[in-house]
Amino acid sequence: MISTISSSAYRLLLRLHPVSFQDEFGAEMLWIFDEECEQGRVVPLLLDGAISLLRQRFRTQNDPGQLSIASGTVITGPGMDPVRLLQGGVTFSLIFFSLIQLLSHPNLLTVSVRWSDRVPCYTISLQAPSHAEVVLDTTP
Amino acid sequence: MKSQTTKNPPLSSATLQILLALAGGNLHGYGIIKEVARNSDGHYRLGPGTLYDNLKKLMDAGLVSDVPPPVSSKRKSASTKEDDRRFYVLTKDGKGALAAEVDRLQTVVSQARSRLREARAGNA
Repeated sequence: MISTISSSAYRLLLRLHPVSFQDEFGAEMLWIFDEECEQGRVVPLLLDGAISLLRQRFRTQNDPGQLSIASGTVITGPGMDPVRLLQGGVTFSLIFFSLIQLLSHPNLLTVSVRWSDRVPCYTISLQAPSHAEVVLDTTP
Repeated sequence: MKSQTTKNPPLSSATLQILLALAGGNLHGYGIIKEVARNSDGHYRLGPGTLYDNLKKLMDAGLVSDVPPPVSSKRKSASTKEDDRRFYVLTKDGKGALAAEVDRLQTVVSQARSRLREARAGNA
């Protein structure tokens, strides 16, 4: 479960990289991530991916190339507006460090999937340190 | 000396480790990571982000180039993913840059030894 979440997070990080970088190295990076994950090096690899993303993004700022975002939309232009880049960076950092926090405390988050009439129903349980529990159930 | 410094500026530790790994022979990305870890007794482990960021810079600078995997490697590997891996090779300029960096480090070590000797003599 944790490996699925971390693999998805890494895929997301890769999709945020510039398109040319993704095309050239994305598959190899993902392959190495999967290999290294088996040795339990998830958090350092995610951090490494985030740093690589920042480096690539700052490098392409002056390029007139394309900026792809997670949804697959392509934005063309001379680079991202610095304010938008800052906003995006702050939002991404919050999500990223929350994810790392969850990954480093596997008992905090449990996700279970069961099938109801061929429809997957997810139960996501987030347990706070004070033993309060938030349960999100998608059962119809 | 000055022109050589301008031509071959000091390399970052990740770049140096990658060039050193490739000096031993052509390697694919994961091979470079494992070789760097082996050379440093496991103390220095590159992440894929750092590796490919540096490889891109080195390829843009013409110090490293990529080649298709050797036929023997294709035969040995069972999975398609492994078949697709590119190998990276040190170019002539890359070998020159590595040699220049080793010379620079040698100068640093010589200077450091000389300073330490002077410091020891001063304390005695």
